[in-house]
Amino acid sequence: MATLSSSSCRSYATSLSSSSSSSSSSQAPICGHNQRITLSSIPHRFLSAKISCQLSRRGSRGNAVRMQDGAVAPAITPVENDSPFKKPKENLPPISPPVETKEAPGFDVHQNESTVTITIVGASGDLAKKKIFPALFALYYEDCLPKHFTIFGYARTKMTDAELRTMISKTLTCRIDKRENCGEKMDQFLERCFYHSGQYDSQENFAELDRKLKEHEAGRVSNRLFYLSIPPNIFIEAVKCASLSASSGNGWTRVIVEKPFGRDSESSAALTKALKQYLQEDQIFRIDHYLGKELVENLSVLRFSNLIFEPLWSRQYIRNVQLIFSEDFGTEGRGGYFDNYGIIRDIIQNHLLQILALFAMETPVSLDAEDIRNEKVKVLRSMRPLSLEDVVIGQYKSHTKGGITYPGYIDDKTVPKDSLTPTFAAAALFIDNARWDGVPFLMKAGKALHNKIAEIRVQFRHVPGNLYNRNFGTDLDQATNELVIRVQPDEAIYLKINNKVPGLGMRLDRSNLNLHYAARYSKEIPDAYERLLLDAIEGERRLFIRSDELDAAWSLFTPVLKELEEKKIIPEYYPYGSRGPVGAHYLAARYNVRWGDLGSEQ
Amino acid sequence: MAAATSHLSLCSSSSSAASLSQTQTCSFFKKEADLFSRFAAFPRKTQSSTWVRRVRPRKSFQLKFSSNGSPLNAVSLQDSGSSVAKKGLGTQEEEASSFLYSEPRKAESTLSITVVGASGDLARKKIFPALFALFYEDWLPENFCVCGYARTRMTDEELRNMISKTLTCRIDKRENCEDKMEQFLMRCFYHAGQYNSEDNFRELDMKLKEKEAGKLANRLFYLSIPPNIFVDVVRCASLRASSGDGWTRVIVEKPFGRDSESSGELTRCLKQYLAEDQIFRIDHYLGKELVENLSVLRFSNLVFEPLWSRNYIRNVQLIFSEDFGIEGRGGYFDNYGIIRDIMQNHLLQILALFAMETPVSLDAEDIRNEKVKVLRSMRPLQLDDVIVGQYKGHSKGSKSYPGYIDDPTVPKNSTTPTFAAAALFINNARWDGVPFLMKAGKALHTKRAEIRVQFRHVAGNLYRRNFGTDLDKATNELVLRVQPDEAIYLKINNKVPGLGMRLDCSDLNLLYRARYPREIPDAYERLLLDAIEGERRLFIRSDELDAAWALFTPLLKELEDKRIAPELYPYGSRGPVGAHYLAAKHNVRWGDLGSED
Repeated sequence: MATLSSSSCRSYATSLSSSSSSSSSSQAPICGHNQRITLSSIPHRFLSAKISCQLSRRGSRGNAVRMQDGAVAPAITPVENDSPFKKPKENLPPISPPVETKEAPGFDVHQNESTVTITIVGASGDLAKKKIFPALFALYYEDCLPKHFTIFGYARTKMTDAELRTMISKTLTCRIDKRENCGEKMDQFLERCFYHSGQYDSQENFAELDRKLKEHEAGRVSNRLFYLSIPPNIFIEAVKCASLSASSGNGWTRVIVEKPFGRDSESSAALTKALKQYLQEDQIFRIDHYLGKELVENLSVLRFSNLIFEPLWSRQYIRNVQLIFSEDFGTEGRGGYFDNYGIIRDIIQNHLLQILALFAMETPVSLDAEDIRNEKVKVLRSMRPLSLEDVVIGQYKSHTKGGITYPGYIDDKTVPKDSLTPTFAAAALFIDNARWDGVPFLMKAGKALHNKIAEIRVQFRHVPGNLYNRNFGTDLDQATNELVIRVQPDEAIYLKINNKVPGLGMRLDRSNLNLHYAARYSKEIPDAYERLLLDAIEGERRLFIRSDELDAAWSLFTPVLKELEEKKIIPEYYPYGSRGPVGAHYLAARYNVRWGDLGSEQ
Repeated sequence: MAAATSHLSLCSSSSSAASLSQTQTCSFFKKEADLFSRFAAFPRKTQSSTWVRRVRPRKSFQLKFSSNGSPLNAVSLQDSGSSVAKKGLGTQEEEASSFLYSEPRKAESTLSITVVGASGDLARKKIFPALFALFYEDWLPENFCVCGYARTRMTDEELRNMISKTLTCRIDKRENCEDKMEQFLMRCFYHAGQYNSEDNFRELDMKLKEKEAGKLANRLFYLSIPPNIFVDVVRCASLRASSGDGWTRVIVEKPFGRDSESSGELTRCLKQYLAEDQIFRIDHYLGKELVENLSVLRFSNLVFEPLWSRNYIRNVQLIFSEDFGIEGRGGYFDNYGIIRDIMQNHLLQILALFAMETPVSLDAEDIRNEKVKVLRSMRPLQLDDVIVGQYKGHSKGSKSYPGYIDDPTVPKNSTTPTFAAAALFINNARWDGVPFLMKAGKALHTKRAEIRVQFRHVAGNLYRRNFGTDLDKATNELVLRVQPDEAIYLKINNKVPGLGMRLDCSDLNLLYRARYPREIPDAYERLLLDAIEGERRLFIRSDELDAAWALFTPLLKELEDKRIAPELYPYGSRGPVGAHYLAAKHNVRWGDLGSED
């Protein structure tokens, strides 16, 4: 199957094991099996099984739980054992050598017979051009894509294949460290790109697409990935058409959906419900591209593969946690979308909350997607819904600096003049479980601030009975340890420690034990989209958001969002390019916290 | 063995050189203690005032030029300004103490530093340069003089010439260096005399008095001489050249004996002439920046102390290696060997600092109390927990390096170890079962000194299979590199950026050179300054020394009695393979010999 073939790119056992197990053993139930088997290019043999699968899909109950419900699996196990082709690989417990897979091309003979088609719905959009096509090219360049793959652009615009290629080719770039053959590779890649124009709500157009796809698949097992890079109001239509008219007959069909996933609990649930009419839970890949960031991935590695962090990872040692996101530009013409959502929905409720959940979760049973997502849901469900007094909102106003005038939010033509939409928000959240009770998790996100940064800051408690207290002067807060995980820019991890200033005196000083990625790893760090696309192709769901996670996330924020809107709370205005509204400091001070990013030193 | 013998009979050897009455005082020391205290110029009142100070809450912990008696100046180095210092009572010591600062009375006290054995190697290479550095950085009191004392006939001018060759200026403070050097040299004098002649020391006393010009006199003697004449010099200096109204302190360098008995004897003899708090036993490793920093790291950071126990630490390694042999210095070394030269003092002291419980305060006595507790909780070393080695000649390229016994100063049949590895255990609640491995050697492939803390495996590690089979590679490790290139780094597992899930070991690191461009002061500077200030934290107390010897003496005796032949290793190699077997026996891998370090 695709997972195995592309595992040549992923040089690790976990991905291999988790993805193979997710489609084989306990996790992916009926349809997963069906897909896997058909993959083995013996489709007709299991046709009946497939139909039964389809039926059960319709009456799907809580997919999330069922997906890990091992009880479902045994019923099909005999089928699995019937599959002579997969058997040796499947039965292999995940002890398969981790790194070696890279070198040893242990490909299944039959893998050549399967193919992946990636259809980008909304191919003419900004995201597609800037992120998706370049990410696909990078994957291709690094040999992470299966041998047979095709990329289809789908949009309403009339365009020829050649025009699409010209459009794409402008945004493709080669890694700095791998420049050779780049032009050649680019041509090869573009050769695999096609375009089909059609309406997003037309089943006929999708049926045409299906025919085109079939042509390219040339009878091989076909796996199809749809990337919906379209506005949320047409999600359902596109999903309906794709699912009904362009689903794969014998392979898998997966759909990647981008945020926004609704704008509150109700709309999100409605969206999920609608999607599930046409798709199984395990066909839906809700992307949160922050989860694909290198250092967010590394967060779990840091916590669980090092002895030294986990003992400290609790209320006993951690004073507060800060999740900070800032952009140094405003909406700049993209206000139409943004004004309807605001910063809380755009950043906090998804990106920051996801990172928080990863940060705070208990140790999962394994690294499998379902185990991790189970733990994340537990964190979200242990959290108090946000209350209004724990939130500060702001909106940037115009500001003139050195002759240049920066426009305020409502100066943007795409924004209504009386808009109260927050472009900045800070919030204090609490997890009421044994590990985190009483530890404030502070979030802050804003546009048009003085810098562009995304980081996690963990401030540790004071040293009890510190022998060196008098060496610190009066400001003890300065003397606590702090772990900073900087997600962007310049990925880095550093731990602030107290240290003696070399010399004959006894002066203490804070230094950083640090790991600067750019210095340590000369390789370019892959874009989040590359990772997520590859994961979706491989069926690795760890970094995608499950329906129940989404529900839990919304239920934390929906009440406060409603209240903000009903009471028409006026955001605190802050100048473009400033450090944000002062209210954020009051909020932090209320919980005895100082923002780590605004100190004299960082 | 000659030196050894003289050690064992220190008092008697001194007697042979001096008058008979001295010998008697030696043996009747206890009875005559009062008498001695008078001679030695540490009047009882000083000690009582010390006691008073101990009770008094210490607010300022400033540089107190306290009396001989004050053991309390632990934190004195913090330079938070002189105003605080004035809080003290106006006792004599207080007055004395103040002269580092711009207080009116500062002119009334003076400090003389007498380097006994001024013509020796250590004096030239370390002590005078360190004194100059202190002078340069304005750490020395306004009135001070440096006096060289040795048997060689020399004029002041000749001494100055000799010293001036080894003085250097800090890289970052070059301006006025020549001026400063001139000024410093003008304060240096020389007095030639025998080490066992009270008369010569009386002459020295007269010279010092002249320089002191009636001011309150504080005197520091630095004994940079072979151990067999320690006691003689201490006797003469104490009887004839003690300060009449200020303090008198004596800095002694290792070796402090060569086993429990000789060390006990040395201490006993020193104490005839000096009170415990006049004796400053220097272990220059304790003056190293990162050793000082060890306590800061542990006790001022929240993130380390929770991990500092058998629950999380798998083993601790203390590693010292030199990339050269004895090169003509075998005469001294052959009588001691690497265990006495490095392990029993430097490495053991670092171990004690590393492993001690949190002290009540940073005061010298509190810290040393905790260190003694560690030493006393340790099992004496067993022969099978020790590996000894000796380097042999080795040719590499066209160059051939001499073996230890090829050195003309070494007996041909010497079995003195130039390398040793040992596994030690602390049988207390915190460290039970954690091996502390020590390794010290000469003529190895690198020159370094470091502390390595290897942490345990992650229990139930989710990423187990990403590490491959060698789980030991995947544990965290904290490394404090004392030299060269001071650094602290913590090895953590990390995801290799990229689409796969490959883990690797990265360092969270702090390289001193990068963070602190200032030159790091030499250990001797710190220790000299501490001695001047009466700060005893970094000096070794008698009971510490006893406890340290008690750990090593049985082993050393056994090694010598059984004439255990050291394992030979080539000059410039990684040391004898036995060290690996020893480590393996305790499930340890040396951190410094991995593919990467």
